[in-house]
Amino acid sequence: MRKVVLLGTGSTKYGKLNVTAREAAVLAAKEAIEKVGISNRDVEAVFVSNVFGMTEKQGHLGPIIAHSLGIPYAPTFTVETACASGSTAFREAFVNIAAGFYDCILVVGTEKVSHLDTITATTYFSYGSDFAFEAVNGASFPGLYASIARYHMHKYGTTEEQLAAVAVKNHSNAIHNPKAHFHKKITVEDVLKSRVVASPLKLYDCCPFSDGASAAIIASEEFAKKHIDTLIYVLGTGRASAPAALFNRENMASIISSKLAAEQAFKNSRLTHKDIDFMEVHDCFTIAEVIAIEDMGFCKKGEGAKLAEEGVTEIDGKLPVNPSGGLKAKGHPVGATGVGQINEVYEQLLGEAGKRQVEGATTALTHNVGATGGTCNVLIFRRGD
Amino acid sequence: MKEENLPSIKELEEYVRQGKLMGFKCKKCGHKEVTPFVYCPRCGSSEVEVVELPKTGKVVTYTIQWVAPERFLNEVPYAWCVVELDDGTMVSGWIPFISKPEDLPIGQKVRMVKSYKPGVYFEKVKE
Ligand SMILES: CC(C)(COP(=O)(O)OP(=O)(O)OC[C@H]1O[C@@H](n2cnc3c(N)ncnc32)[C@H](O)[C@@H]1OP(=O)(O)O)[C@@H](O)C(=O)NCCC(=O)NCCS
Ligand SMILES: [Zn+2]
Repeated sequence: MRKVVLLGTGSTKYGKLNVTAREAAVLAAKEAIEKVGISNRDVEAVFVSNVFGMTEKQGHLGPIIAHSLGIPYAPTFTVETACASGSTAFREAFVNIAAGFYDCILVVGTEKVSHLDTITATTYFSYGSDFAFEAVNGASFPGLYASIARYHMHKYGTTEEQLAAVAVKNHSNAIHNPKAHFHKKITVEDVLKSRVVASPLKLYDCCPFSDGASAAIIASEEFAKKHIDTLIYVLGTGRASAPAALFNRENMASIISSKLAAEQAFKNSRLTHKDIDFMEVHDCFTIAEVIAIEDMGFCKKGEGAKLAEEGVTEIDGKLPVNPSGGLKAKGHPVGATGVGQINEVYEQLLGEAGKRQVEGATTALTHNVGATGGTCNVLIFRRGD
Repeated sequence: MKEENLPSIKELEEYVRQGKLMGFKCKKCGHKEVTPFVYCPRCGSSEVEVVELPKTGKVVTYTIQWVAPERFLNEVPYAWCVVELDDGTMVSGWIPFISKPEDLPIGQKVRMVKSYKPGVYFEKVKE
């Protein structure tokens, strides 16, 4: 296997955008190409991730995006693994580079949902569950994670206040992220008083419906050395599935694919938990951040809820989690999210994250979940000297 | 999925409308699920049969939905729940008229009933 390097990233702002998914993708990709300083014609293939394109009456996004980028004959590949689509595209691009098939690939995740009203969007999002056996009985996406939350609360004594602390931290981090969906400080009280979406989850426990696109360019080490000075290596990757239906899991407060993907990523990076300076995890709901930390083995199962409350996961804490603001406050444009996490890693490892900079960070992990854990991807990055 | 004697999802839904819950059972290891399989997700065996599942069980976890997908708009608030049936098979379903956690303690006994409403419809049973 060849060494693979993250060359650079780009991203639109997350939130409500006035452009379609294809346009957002092109903007993010152009930013990445320009930041890295390669030519668009250096890109040999384009890996696209998108989930709700059909709601915009547009499928087959790959060639459309490639065309706008002036590389109409580059092969493209569009992937859908629900909210994990972005990191799936990235990992499959990684495989292609590592295998020696291509030298330089553009990965771009994009999403546009703000043209859908709340009910329509809630309905579309529920298609990410095992629809015939979950959503058909009335589950919404927040409802599924709410059931995970209630199970966690029942089994381990987690409280709504502890979950609220996750939202407070992530909102506070997003204030320093110019591309975040929300720039609004909130308190535990605000979270507890916000309207119930699916109990025990309230509005501020949920990520928003966001539009946005993020891009990443990855290449072989040989290619990278010709174009950039500071190399960020993709050291570890892990990918796993788990039963899509929540009720088919042994522990409904756990995402097995997270555990499996993290184990793989640690194994093939030859790093341990102690090496991770910060991580971007899939906090589509506050409970999701808690179980991500637990399932990847950063604390004992059932003890994740107190980390935010005790400040451990703050930017200057012992284990910073979601310095970008996370899905909760940076936003969650579904197809873009997994690539957006990598954008944060890039800025942090180059020391360009401004007021949300994790001091001295050289090694970072991203964790991206599809639906309630049917898919999980974990990636580990490290800056070379 | 329509394989020899195994019911399609459409047929499973028809059973639900008639108030029956059907499941897939591995003849080799005994594993049971409501989700279709042609190889057992637990042991990999291809010896699969269809069985009728018990209608009663207890609530393992749930949520009370205040923001619902289209088909359930008129039911808000209701509980979407995970139920462990008396034989240990796990299913999901919903229970109408639940608005606060006190209405539905975890472990609550429930029974699946025939309904003109969509999905697997449970009601609470007194113990
Ligand atoms: C919670 C939810 C139902 C809110 O629906 P919505 O259509 O976005 O809400 P509205 O448009 O009515 O928003 C009302 C206000 O709340 C704000 N808001 C919406 N969602 C918010 C969120 N998650 N957190 C904080 N504020 C939020 C809006 O900005 C708006 O504020 P304003 O009045 O100041 O402009 C929706 O965001 C949701 O379902 N989120 C989860 C998405 C999901 O499941 N993703 C997949 C996860 S893997
Ligand atoms: Zn079996």
